[in-house]
Formats: sequence, C-alpha cells, structure tokens
Amino acid sequence: MTWLVWRQYRAQAAIASALLAALAAAIIVDGWQIASRWHSALVGCAGNGGCLQQTALVNGVMSDLPYFALIVPAVLGMLWGAPLVASELEARTSDFAWTQSVTRTRWLAVKAGWLLLAAAACGGGVAALTTWWSGPVNAQSATAFTPGQFDTQGIVPIGYAVFAMALGIAAGTVARRALPAIAVVLGGFIALRLLIADVLRPHYLTAVTTYFNVTTTFTPPGQAWVLAQGGVSPTGQVVARGWGDLEPALPAACQRLLPGSPTAKNGGSLNSVFSCMQAHGWRGFVTYQPAGRYWPFQGIETGIYVLLAAALIAVAFVVVRRRDA
Amino acid sequence: MSTAIETHELSKRYRRARALTECTVTVPEGRVCALIGPNGAGKTTLLRILAGLVRPTGGAALVLSGEPRQDPAFLAEIGFLGQEIPLYRRLTAEDHIVAGAHLNPRWDAAHARTRLAELRIPLDQRVGELSGGQRAQVALALTLAKRPRLLLLDEPFAALDPLARRNFLAALTTAVTDAAGLLTVVLSSHLVSDLERVCDHLILLAGSRVQLAGDIDTLLAQHRVAQQAEDVALEELILAYMGADAESAGTFLATAGEES
Repeated sequence: MTWLVWRQYRAQAAIASALLAALAAAIIVDGWQIASRWHSALVGCAGNGGCLQQTALVNGVMSDLPYFALIVPAVLGMLWGAPLVASELEARTSDFAWTQSVTRTRWLAVKAGWLLLAAAACGGGVAALTTWWSGPVNAQSATAFTPGQFDTQGIVPIGYAVFAMALGIAAGTVARRALPAIAVVLGGFIALRLLIADVLRPHYLTAVTTYFNVTTTFTPPGQAWVLAQGGVSPTGQVVARGWGDLEPALPAACQRLLPGSPTAKNGGSLNSVFSCMQAHGWRGFVTYQPAGRYWPFQGIETGIYVLLAAALIAVAFVVVRRRDA
Repeated sequence: MSTAIETHELSKRYRRARALTECTVTVPEGRVCALIGPNGAGKTTLLRILAGLVRPTGGAALVLSGEPRQDPAFLAEIGFLGQEIPLYRRLTAEDHIVAGAHLNPRWDAAHARTRLAELRIPLDQRVGELSGGQRAQVALALTLAKRPRLLLLDEPFAALDPLARRNFLAALTTAVTDAAGLLTVVLSSHLVSDLERVCDHLILLAGSRVQLAGDIDTLLAQHRVAQQAEDVALEELILAYMGADAESAGTFLATAGEES
C-alpha cells in the first residue's frame, strides 16, 4: 500500500519539495540579513534600549514571511487532503483500490497516515525556519507570545498542518468531491483559527492580574502576552481599555487636571492626574499571560488541533468503511 | 458441485428508488453467467453487492460461502472490473502491475506482462494515453493477475469497438479454460449476441427484479417446450421474459438493435 501511495504522490512530492526549498531559501536569506542588522545594532547601541528599539530590522514585504507557517498547512490540506479520498471516488479508482486484497480501513490508514506525516513534517519545517527568522524581532519587541507571532512560531504550525490535512481528508470523504472539500478546508481552517486564537487561547490558563500604584508603571517581565490593562476605581469599577478611555470614569477633581482641560493649571499634566487618581484610591492593573507560559500554551494549542484532527480522521474512517462505494 | 453465489431476497433501496428487489439467484462454481437487463435494471448494484462495495438493505448474499466483507482473505478471491474501467490514468500498466503485487497475496505479474505483450500494449505508457480497448485489456489482465475464484465484470465492453470486444472475450474465454472449472464469472451486458458465445448461465434483471435465472440450455429447452417451437434463440427467450417490464423491454430492444 505504501508503494502505491508513493507512486501516486511522488510527482507532487517533488514539486512541493522544490517550492518549499525556494521558500526556505527566501526565509534563510532574509533571516540572515535581519540577524546581521540586529547584531550590528547590539554592538552600535551599546546597551541603549531606545536605540535598539528604533533599529529597523524587517524589510517591508518580508515582514509577511512568517505567515507561510499558516499558508503552507492550509495549502497542503486543500491540495493533498481534500482530494485524498474524493478524487479516487470521482475517477472511480476507488473501485480498483478497494477490490484488491486490502481492506478499505488499511487503505485509508496507510494513505492518510503518510499524508498526515508529510503535513506534520512540512508544518514543522516551515515553523522551524520562521521561528529562527523571528528571533531578533522577538528579542527587540518581546512579542513572541502575542497573536500573530505566537501562531507562526514554535510547534503550533505542526498542529495546524495536521488539522488542515485531516479536515481535507474528512471533507473530501463526506462530500465525495474534491472541489467542495477544498472550499471547506479554506473556510474551516480560517474560521477555526480565528475562533480559537480570539476566544479560547486567552483562557488556556487563568490570566495573572497585577495591580500597581498609578503613579508608577508596570510591565510584565519577558515576552508576556498582555490581555488587558487600565485602571480600577476604589469601588472596583474596571476601566480596561487603556488610559485614553479612562477620562469619563475619573473623579471630577482629577478630570479638571487633564491636559487640555480649561480648568487645568499650567495646561495640566498626566502626572498630576495620576497623583490625583492615587489620592482618590485608584490603582492600575495589567492582566497578562506570563512569559513562562509560552511553551505550555504552544503545547495546549497544538494538542487541541491534533485532537480535532484525530476526530476528523475518525469520521473519515467511519464513512469510508460504512458508506457504499 | 459447490455454489459460487447464492442470494436470498437480496434488496437494495436508495433514498428515492429501489435498485434491487428481492433478488434470489444461485450460480454454481465454474459457470460463466450472463447478467442481462436494460440500463437501470440493477445489474451494477448486484455486482457491487457481490464484490462487497455496496451493502444490501435487505436479504442476504453468500459469495464463495461467505458474506461479502472487508476481509483480505475474502477480497483476495474476488476480481472486480467496473463499468468505468477504474485505473489510475497517470500511472502506467507496469505501475499497476507492481501495485497489484504489493496489494495481493497471490499475484501473477508474469502472466499479466505476457498477456499485455501479446496484445502489443505498451507497459510503460500512461494508462490514460491508451485507447479504450487497450485500457480494458489492461484492467482485465490486472483483474486476472489476482487469480480470483470469482470474476465480476460490469459491462466491461460497453465502450469497446467490435474488434476490441472480440479480443476481450477471447481473453476472458482463455482465462476460464485455464482455470479448469475453478473460476466463476458473472458478466453484465446488454449485448446478448456477445454473451451468447461465452456464457452458460443466465440472470435476467428488469425493473430491479429477477425475471429469469438458470442454466441457459435448460431455460432454452423449457421455453421450446412451452412455445412448441423447434428452435429458440437466446434473444427471443430474453425478450419473452422482459414482458414484465414492457417499457424497458422496448428500450432494451432498441438498444440491442443499435449496438449489435
């Protein structure tokens, strides 16, 4: 069975390898330049944080390179996953394959097994490259944990690749046609990724909230993921959309001190507002996922996608075994 | 003599239509059975149930003394060739022969290669680039290389010209002779003239039901007596029993005339 899978996919595998090699070359060349810019900045700025922050690391369009860690999984799911069973049914080659001395279960297990493995390998390969590429950017802006960056680094792209492939296989098996299955992969992958990243991911582990004196500032250490920040009034009213939105919630005495307010003395200053808030019992807060949870989160998210993939593959098995061919 | 196929009130309903209704037939081992009927009579459904590709919704089928099932031992005994000549168009005949060797416990690759060489069919050309007749010959050679005990052929020469049809039937006859009574064949078609030459058993389906089934010589003899005729051709016998489904009989007649 493995021989037949290899024979069926060897031409496509060659094309895919060539394209992935080209992508790898682009990431490596660009990543090399980013790394050298970062190193010269480290030397040139001599420990000056502001100078480091202002160094331009990434070149225009190239800033989109990491998104290949999402594109490659989706494309593999559409081009290899969706037709895996569907195109055999469309061309009726399933009649040939399913009347050899191999059960349909084994046929699907071997075929899907190799393609899921290929998806994991491609997802992992691209993720390794984009993770390396992002190294200096992570160091500069400490954003590895934030949405967008988190999704294109580490091990999550492996989960996405396995999931997209499984979604394609299951959709193609149920729909019996490749084209609708391709649409399902595209729509399903995008929708589920948005849903999980926006709704579920912030709650994998209970976020940490730190309260602090409003006259000072607090930044969570390392590459933490800040979910919300703002102020809390003495009565417990939380204003979480940043300092700008605080204004209407402030005590009248403090509003008067805001810069631009006609009653402000000497044009007013934010510091005097903060002191006023402190005096009225306000505190600042930051709700965040600490930097140390980066890898647990990567593990949890990868696990979710792998479990979903397993459920989809189970559906494909049931349909292939039970439904008339 | 043992039985290759035995069905009891075998039925298949799809959401909208009945494909097969209470089909009870027996085919002894070693026979070449013609499965005749107009389009939509249920021939394909019956063959696909026997091959284990379709599940019946009622009744039972015994194929080589077991129910058709997903089991390598059962699948190894069945050779199936579908109407659409299902082959991987981008793979060569040689690719298919090698694949078969990986997928079957007993696989006569040498026989398949010899057969195709005799027919001057290139082994290294993509199957999709071969003619319809050549493709059918490749598919038959592959099906026979499996060394099945039951060969199920669903309108294998629907798309073939008369010469290719004759070659195909010759190949089939040789295979049956070589198997010395151990190979049973069920062959569906609506071309009575072709089937007459190779078949000794008959199942006539119309409107999803069995109209007539049995040994061809016995059926002809019975019909002669009933009609008090001196000689009866197979085609006359068949048309006589199509009466139960007059409309499809008309279509059947027209089709038969057109294609023979």
